[in-house]
Amino acid sequence: MILYSFYIFDRHTECIYSRKWNTRPISSSTKSARPQSGVSITSNGDVAPATRKALSKEDDAKLIFGLVFSLRNMAQKLGGEDDSFLCYRTGEYKLHYYETPTRLKFVMLTDHGAKTQRSALHQIWALLYVEYVVKNPLSPVEHPGGIGVANVMFEQGLDAFVERVVLPT
Amino acid sequence: MVYRVVFALFIISKAGGLIYNREFHAGLSKLEANDYLIVAGTFHGIHAITKQLCPAAAAPTPPAITTPSLAPSPFPSRPSGLEVLETQNFRMQCFQTQTGVKFLLFTEPHQPNVDTMMRRIYELYADYVMKNPFYTVEMPIRCEKFDRGLDGFVKVRS
Repeated sequence: MILYSFYIFDRHTECIYSRKWNTRPISSSTKSARPQSGVSITSNGDVAPATRKALSKEDDAKLIFGLVFSLRNMAQKLGGEDDSFLCYRTGEYKLHYYETPTRLKFVMLTDHGAKTQRSALHQIWALLYVEYVVKNPLSPVEHPGGIGVANVMFEQGLDAFVERVVLPT
Repeated sequence: MVYRVVFALFIISKAGGLIYNREFHAGLSKLEANDYLIVAGTFHGIHAITKQLCPAAAAPTPPAITTPSLAPSPFPSRPSGLEVLETQNFRMQCFQTQTGVKFLLFTEPHQPNVDTMMRRIYELYADYVMKNPFYTVEMPIRCEKFDRGLDGFVKVRS
């Protein structure tokens, strides 16, 4: 399984932690890894990626938050109040989603063949986030700008967890 | 016989408008007509964003396409966008045609063979909607034969 990235969003819609692994592996000759084409509007009505610059890290996180938020609302609208969005898959990648009762959102991007990682996200929350961030007396209650989340223990724990649990599956 | 449940079928035009909406079995919440339009429009946007978020390089582009040309490329190697959405209560499969029309099929979470079902629905669409001389593209689909075809197909299967 290939792991691309991992994000935590707090209830104020802010990205408080993000981590990337082997994203955009080998770009072919051009700088951008996205396919180039001279067509600006294709028959699908899409704006061709060629016209768009690569997104910065913050923009990526904002886009993912917006996406997850809309999907969650859509799932609730169609599936009823108790429904929750679990994951989606495209031809290239798969996005896993887990939301805690305090509306903390955990998002993970993997390759499209991966099994569901919801339990892994739950474990990251229970075993790492709660242990090293929530129980840390030095970390603030809220984490504006990600203060207190990316501490050494949490990062080491996440690395070890990914090595041990996420990647072998 | 496997018990199958197909909840609903939406067809979204390439501009993001809901042009067909049919419920086969109860299971999804009932919404007002306007809300369905909103859901369809939202999904149209979501689909475009999921294409942009692609973390891995898409399949290598044939060199011919990198040169500017006015004709739309016949070999798209751009990211596919959302294909399957899973929630606790339903599973949604999205199929986008070459012309940008999106078919959304809402089924039970563990429904098998949605791909073949989707293909069959696309055939029905091609036969009874696109070949209907009185149908204007991008407009809501009101073709009785299409309705009946879907009914026969989905009910026989479920």
